[in-house]
Amino acid sequence: MKKFLTVISILGVLYLIPLIFGGNLMAQTIMSELPEETGGLLEGLRHFWEYTGFSNVSFGNIIMIVVGLFFIFLAIRFHYEPLLLIPIGTGILLGNIPFPAGAGVGIYESGSVLNYLYFGVTQGIYPPLIFLGIGAMTDFSSLISNPRLMLLGAAAQIGVFGTFIGAVALGFEIHEAGAISIIGGADGPTAIFASAKLAPHLIGSIAIAAYSYMALVPVIQPPIMKLLITKKERLIRMKPPRAVSKTEKILFPIIGLLLTTFISPSAIPLLGMLFFGNILKESGVTDRLADTARTKMIDIVTILLGVTVGASTQASVFLTGSSIKIFALGAVSFIIATAGGLLFAKVMNLFLSKGNKINPLIGAAGVSAVPDSARVVQQEGIKSDPSNHLLMHAMAPNVSGVIGSAVAAGIMISFLM
Amino acid sequence: MEETTTSVVDWSQIWIITGVGYTVVFLALLMLMLLFKSMPRVLNLGLSKKIREVREKAAARRNGDTKQEKYISGEVSAAIGLALTLYFKEQHDEESGIITIKRVARTYSPWSSKIYGVNNNPR
Repeated sequence: MKKFLTVISILGVLYLIPLIFGGNLMAQTIMSELPEETGGLLEGLRHFWEYTGFSNVSFGNIIMIVVGLFFIFLAIRFHYEPLLLIPIGTGILLGNIPFPAGAGVGIYESGSVLNYLYFGVTQGIYPPLIFLGIGAMTDFSSLISNPRLMLLGAAAQIGVFGTFIGAVALGFEIHEAGAISIIGGADGPTAIFASAKLAPHLIGSIAIAAYSYMALVPVIQPPIMKLLITKKERLIRMKPPRAVSKTEKILFPIIGLLLTTFISPSAIPLLGMLFFGNILKESGVTDRLADTARTKMIDIVTILLGVTVGASTQASVFLTGSSIKIFALGAVSFIIATAGGLLFAKVMNLFLSKGNKINPLIGAAGVSAVPDSARVVQQEGIKSDPSNHLLMHAMAPNVSGVIGSAVAAGIMISFLM
Repeated sequence: MEETTTSVVDWSQIWIITGVGYTVVFLALLMLMLLFKSMPRVLNLGLSKKIREVREKAAARRNGDTKQEKYISGEVSAAIGLALTLYFKEQHDEESGIITIKRVARTYSPWSSKIYGVNNNPR
């Protein structure tokens, strides 16, 4: 422990020296005070020092490194979306290691390795591949057995359109507002895809906001649920879902693909890949492909997406007033989306017969964020009645939220492109 | 990045995008919902037709106007049974049940010869 503290303190001092004395000046000041005959060696050392991160560090870099470490801490300590927060957190560290301009290592420097990997983000390549994997691992049975729950996924998209209005009101340009609004869909890949098309310069902020709030679903949603859903409503037991035939499972992605992409062609890369992945899974004859899509492929793309999105948050680009506004809008959009789903579930109950009522808590799962929001619904349901398991029911609005947010993103793109 | 727009925001356009967009999302999922609500009925159409046919046949049999069912003799049944048994039995490999150590005969090669080994230096 002592050794650890010593190392940390030394590193801290090294980071602080240039901050206090002002970056490169520090090296020059030290070196100029030394006698000239020590020349060559010291000149070399001076060059080396100027090239190090300690010499080039800025206050913004330190803040972002702390943010990155916080993400990694959240993932390890509280298990908040670790598959996303660890790559993103590490990416933030990578993106904020200071280096002299023109070194060819930064994510925004053309020709650098990170820049090549970032191409998949800026051109919207990674999100559809993630959707392929999601499709190959999603079981739509609960949705097929109780199709009316699809409406909850649609209702929660109020978060997208509410954020759109909010972003315009906060002074964002209309394309930027469209990109920011997709944070309300609580779907990271969709948000990245939309911002790559509508406002590429905001990808970093939007992606970080979307993934942060997705990771914080267990913190954001329960208070809203408690506020809007009464104790009596939380105790409602839903009918167990009926068995779904194989034919229905195969027909769902085919019909879903045709219907949704005809309505919103701009979302073809997302919805096409989502339903394609599901066809691979449900057809029963392409197990190898489905298995690759839902395991190795989605893992590889998640790693690349997480690291590059994290690395895109270079302090000089990321720490701006816009990022703060985007973060604020993101929080509001999650609240609006959750409230929209919950309230719509309550409204639906007004029209349903006594035996067919739905537990309004599952409305919160309409915000996408698969499967975290469904898990939160399950946990909240169990708190009220330990024998009332809502997970299967909540998965229906959850996956319909994925479809809904992709359709919303497609509509936004087709309106604004 | 433009933090504040210099031009006046066209709020009518914003409201149109919001209204139309949200309605279209709702309609897309509503259509999907309606399709899949009616799906079991559509899929059961063929099944209910078959059920109806079976019921009609059963009713006709009860009324005594059944057609003579085909008679299958015992020999034929036995032959079918044997064929099925043989077929399913052959799904697995027939093993001899004899366990022996297989002798492997390797052809001679000077590369592995003990006579020409590096340790056999003439003294």
